[in-house]
Amino acid sequence: MNFPSIHVASGVGRLTFRHTLIASTLLLTATLLPAERILFTGAMVHTVVGPVLSPGQVLIDGNKIIDVGERLDAKDARVVDLTGLRLYPGLIAATTTLGLTEINAVRSTRDTTEVGKFNPDVQSWIAVNPDSELIPVARANGITHIVPVPQGGLVTGQSALVALEGWTSESMAVRKPLALHLDWPDMSLNLIPKEQIKDKTKWKSPEELSKERQMELLQLEGFFHEANAYLRAREHGVRTEINPTWEAMRSPVKSEIPIVVKADDLRAIKATVQWAKTNQFRLVISGGRDAAMAASLLASNQVPVIFEHVFDRVLRDTEAYDHLFRTPALLHQAGVTLAISAGTGDSAETDIRNLPHHAAHAVAFGLSPEEALRTITLNPAKIYGVADRLGSIEKGKEATLVATDGDLLDLRSHVRHMWIAGHAISLETRHTRLYEKYRNRPPSP
Amino acid sequence: MKWLGLTSGIPFALSVALAAHADLSPPGHRPPAPDAHAFINARVVVDPSTVLTNATLVVRRGRIEALGTTVATPPDARVWNMGGASIYPAFIEPHWIQGGSGGPLNTSQFSPVQGSQPFTANGHYSFYGVPGDERDPGAPGVGHELSTITPERRIASQFTPDLKGNEELRELGFAVACVVPERGIIRGQSALVSLGEGNPNELLLKPDLFQHIGFDSESGRESSYPKSLMGVIAAWRQTFLDVRAHAEEQAAYQKSPTTRPRPTAEPALEALQPAEAGRQKVVIEPGSVLMMDRAIRLAQEMKLDIALMACGQEWRRPDILSQWRVPLIVPLAFPSPPKFAQEDDWQQVSLDALRGWDWAAENPALLRQKGVIISLSTHGLVDKSEFRRNLRKAIDRGLSESDALQALTLAPARLCGVEDQMGSLAPGKVASFMVIDGSGNYFDPDARLREVWIEGRKYATKTDAPAVKPDKDKPKADKGREIEKKRVARSPLEGRGPLAEPQAVLITGATVWTCGSAGNIENGSVLIVDGKIHSLGRVITVPPELGGKLLRISAEGMHLTPGLVDAHSHSMILGSVNESTLPSTAMVRISDVINSEAGTIYQQLAGGLTVANQLHGSANPIGGQNAIIKLRDGRLPDQLLLAEAPPGIKFALGENVKQSNWGDKNVTRYPQTRMGVRTFYLNRFTAARQYLASWKAFASTGGLRPRRDLELEALGEILEGKRWIHCHSYRQDEILAFLRLMEDFGVKVGTLQHALEGYKIADEIARHGAGASCFSDWWAYKFEVYDAIPYAGSLMHQRGVVVSFNSDSSDLARRMNLEATKAIKYGGISEADALKFVTLNPARQLRIDARVGSLEPGKDGDFVLWSKSPLDSTGRCLQTWIDGRKFFDRELDAQRTSVLSRERLALVDKAKLVANNGEPGTGSTAARAAFFRRALETSRQTEIQQCQDCQLPHSAP
Repeated sequence: MNFPSIHVASGVGRLTFRHTLIASTLLLTATLLPAERILFTGAMVHTVVGPVLSPGQVLIDGNKIIDVGERLDAKDARVVDLTGLRLYPGLIAATTTLGLTEINAVRSTRDTTEVGKFNPDVQSWIAVNPDSELIPVARANGITHIVPVPQGGLVTGQSALVALEGWTSESMAVRKPLALHLDWPDMSLNLIPKEQIKDKTKWKSPEELSKERQMELLQLEGFFHEANAYLRAREHGVRTEINPTWEAMRSPVKSEIPIVVKADDLRAIKATVQWAKTNQFRLVISGGRDAAMAASLLASNQVPVIFEHVFDRVLRDTEAYDHLFRTPALLHQAGVTLAISAGTGDSAETDIRNLPHHAAHAVAFGLSPEEALRTITLNPAKIYGVADRLGSIEKGKEATLVATDGDLLDLRSHVRHMWIAGHAISLETRHTRLYEKYRNRPPSP
Repeated sequence: MKWLGLTSGIPFALSVALAAHADLSPPGHRPPAPDAHAFINARVVVDPSTVLTNATLVVRRGRIEALGTTVATPPDARVWNMGGASIYPAFIEPHWIQGGSGGPLNTSQFSPVQGSQPFTANGHYSFYGVPGDERDPGAPGVGHELSTITPERRIASQFTPDLKGNEELRELGFAVACVVPERGIIRGQSALVSLGEGNPNELLLKPDLFQHIGFDSESGRESSYPKSLMGVIAAWRQTFLDVRAHAEEQAAYQKSPTTRPRPTAEPALEALQPAEAGRQKVVIEPGSVLMMDRAIRLAQEMKLDIALMACGQEWRRPDILSQWRVPLIVPLAFPSPPKFAQEDDWQQVSLDALRGWDWAAENPALLRQKGVIISLSTHGLVDKSEFRRNLRKAIDRGLSESDALQALTLAPARLCGVEDQMGSLAPGKVASFMVIDGSGNYFDPDARLREVWIEGRKYATKTDAPAVKPDKDKPKADKGREIEKKRVARSPLEGRGPLAEPQAVLITGATVWTCGSAGNIENGSVLIVDGKIHSLGRVITVPPELGGKLLRISAEGMHLTPGLVDAHSHSMILGSVNESTLPSTAMVRISDVINSEAGTIYQQLAGGLTVANQLHGSANPIGGQNAIIKLRDGRLPDQLLLAEAPPGIKFALGENVKQSNWGDKNVTRYPQTRMGVRTFYLNRFTAARQYLASWKAFASTGGLRPRRDLELEALGEILEGKRWIHCHSYRQDEILAFLRLMEDFGVKVGTLQHALEGYKIADEIARHGAGASCFSDWWAYKFEVYDAIPYAGSLMHQRGVVVSFNSDSSDLARRMNLEATKAIKYGGISEADALKFVTLNPARQLRIDARVGSLEPGKDGDFVLWSKSPLDSTGRCLQTWIDGRKFFDRELDAQRTSVLSRERLALVDKAKLVANNGEPGTGSTAARAAFFRRALETSRQTEIQQCQDCQLPHSAP
């Protein structure tokens, strides 16, 4: 009785092989051809910065957009007809562990979290696996760029802007370093009742916990002061020996790159803003669970927020059930520059494909669709200082485009085409391959 | 010598009585004091309703001889002039753990699974590789195989007077205490002892007073059964069944010892016989208010005579206790508010914690108000000297002084069956009383308790000075007391329950998604009468008799769908979701631990969910029995159950049950491979088949009744087609192997839960007839889900499988409609079919589609109103109705939230005032630590509960 199943298996094998071949040919062609002028026509163009062109035209030359308008003069360009589709800039995952984890429960596939408290010289982009099966799945939902954030400790490391296209991790890291990442010390007191702690002697009163918290904050502040002292000493030639940890602090301390601080608790958000103000750092807050409670503080200090909790359950029993759903709208109203992210929590690297869904949920609870689109395109680009090349469909920007068959924020829409820096990208994934294989399984006898 | 009548001939006696017959004391010893005393000029509080002034109390040989205002002083009595001081009957402490921590019971803890020694045995809970398999699994010597079941343990046989403890209690006016065994589930038998000085024989008053049960999921060795609240209840249930089975087996053996096999020695079960027969009172400590209800119901099921230890949280559901007549032992341990370094730290303090603090002192008064008979206890007080101040707090909150006195004297006397001996002052009763100076009022903590007399013997107290230094601290203390007197917290039941309960409701103008044969109806109307769908369509006629009772809702532009159904939830379960110790825990029941107080109920109603299948976790191949509930917020657990739902049970395959991600220590429990999983099922189903056969044989030929085994009984119900399997499953190979084995046993599987690779064998699943309840798009969180694809639902649907999408998460359960939308995106099924993934299809899978899942006449009036299409990710749920009653209304939510926030702010203000003006002597470290104690019902408010909560350290969905 084994024969039929062997027969089926070999049939499936052939199918898969052919399918893979087509896909890889597409990818190769796209990458190897010389720069080409293409005119995209027929699509509704969501430029993000200006009005929606319906329909509009986008002209690209190689990796750059050279013109956008309702009717463009581009006689020599190859025309790609996108009638019935909508064109968007590529989506940016502002914080993620995509590329650093394959299967969360399998330890050997996790490269997210380093030990030690101070790791400014840890660089996330060098560990992004270009062949991760998770990357095509993210792309198939419109994501073209990610910021992989190292985890663990207080100063967790540096990130880069990583394009989800390229042969090597080196070529994918298109701007590096992009930001320094901090996990602000947990300002919440661990108020677990004594009897729920295994070792009762380990229980600490709020007073003791509060002292410990103070110590940790001093430790963090001290680290930045010392970094400053080191850098001054180097500049004045007082110090000749080199320390890679301190060296890695140069760009953030000099505000050449932003410092992205993960802060969820109100106390952490307030403390972070105060700290950045005192030291004149370029601050971005990620996480931002309680950001709505500090909205005016964040707005008046021009601190952008990468909000990671649109779908989360409220923490406090007096918060409205939709408090976190509404937080993006509240932050926007207050004048905070806002990005929405699926975050870096457990399994976030597989949930990242729902990034447009996260933004859409904010629309259901008060954010305008236009603004919601900005939170996953132009705003993250601005926050990271890469709006010169990404985030909108504008002349001079990178030809990174996504064509969908419906509103990008509508869960029912599909991404039909993608170009990253002018390269056409395959939308095939592990999922589509398995789907095709088993959809075509002959009825079982 | 009346005492002897109370005991079964165990030798003990009053020390005074002995002394009376004793020979002369040996030379060099101080001779015994004269045994007659007259207390004159006393104010005597005879009992809670009688006070005599200027009275005389005569005591002889440890008993009260006479009492009254005209009583003459006997010539041989030593005379004590009381000078107007008060005499109260001494108190009875009904629940004292000698030298114990006295902490509250923690029922929610989950211990990580640890390694074990393999050993084969034939015990009831013995499976290969689990703790408890050892040759002597319980305590050393003969006993029960579970080390937490020790009913044979007797305080009387190990009693040593705790002189320091006795003194501490005497300082508060106690003369007698019931010493109870600590820890465990069935803990053993308490003894009533005197708190005087003497040897054990002199002090033991009454052995084997009560049997004690605690819902204690923590004690016992790590990872030995049971480690969950539901497991504790199951172990209790099974043990009492075993008592009867063992007695019958013994009786049969005695009759024919030459032909019957010798029964094993079961001292534990034999020790439970008096309790099982209702001859010995059982004191139960359930640890949480919902478990109080459960304990009472179980005791009724087993016909036990019980008293309960209060948990201090009865204010959450006072309706529970008002419906039963069960005496309560009420500990007087109250929390104190904390002090914080930063103002913002108060953000961390929940309304629930503040309510717990503010209600605590009022709880005794509330119980009295509800007609509950209470006895007060010092249990839980680390520093016993807080007792009198806490008592005054309770009185400040409405407990009358006479009720308080009753609860310290006659009520515990009655509970302990000694009301003819003590509890009040009357001739013939034991001469145990206390003397109060100053105001002479015991309930004024500043009035000094000068001395305690126990059985005619005087014990002076140590405390000379009043606890409060009058001049300096008094004004501050008085201020603190005034602030604390007024309760600010509301009842958590306020604002819960149906927001509207019309007899009939008519919704018009909506786009109606019937999920039934009528399809979608544009501009449609739905009429619900008496909780059931009466009619629906484009135009419907309202029966004239409804006239005035009809609520009309105009829903132009809105969408109306059936209430959403979640086939896989763990959101409303108390304690651990997994009884993860044994590979088969078919005996545990989720219905024992439904959490009607979970905040997630409201959050999920706000997402349109109305029905949720509460499932045991996936830590073992055979998990516990499920419970299908309706989210009728505000009702008690048993009122949430969907009564007509057929019973089911959780099974699980793959990585979780073979402990793949539990760490390297967990490598001994059978099974460790997918091969073993199938073999394990083969073993248990064969055992169940034989179990059924043994009952069948008993029914036809009689003989000795087989032992009822709750595990095999549940599995037997599967074989009989009465119980549906909901099987957590991932890979195609394991699913096929499982389906085939079940087919061999003639069993049709209810649902494959998750069924991530089900799409690879859709035809086989369809042919078997199992439903598939999937995640919409979860994948790659562990190795066995690397091949999970979001197209799975559509693909199986297209091949004829009944498919639903489930949440398995208190997060996703709030937007099941949008999960359904993903079936359109991935695989392109129609919108109407996609919505059925979260309405009709899960209802069909759970076999409750005759009641819910679609809008059709005769079905339950469960529906949701949406601002847009339910499949539009920018739409919102506006209203949720169950049985024709409104349980969620978005328009009322802002009001609800602001009321709660205002209450919380007022409580924070009060807590700060009390913390800053608190009375010296209160607010001990222990009391302030107790502030952060969470009730079992609300302790997991913010956690997302999932199947694999058991998996440490790395939890995956």
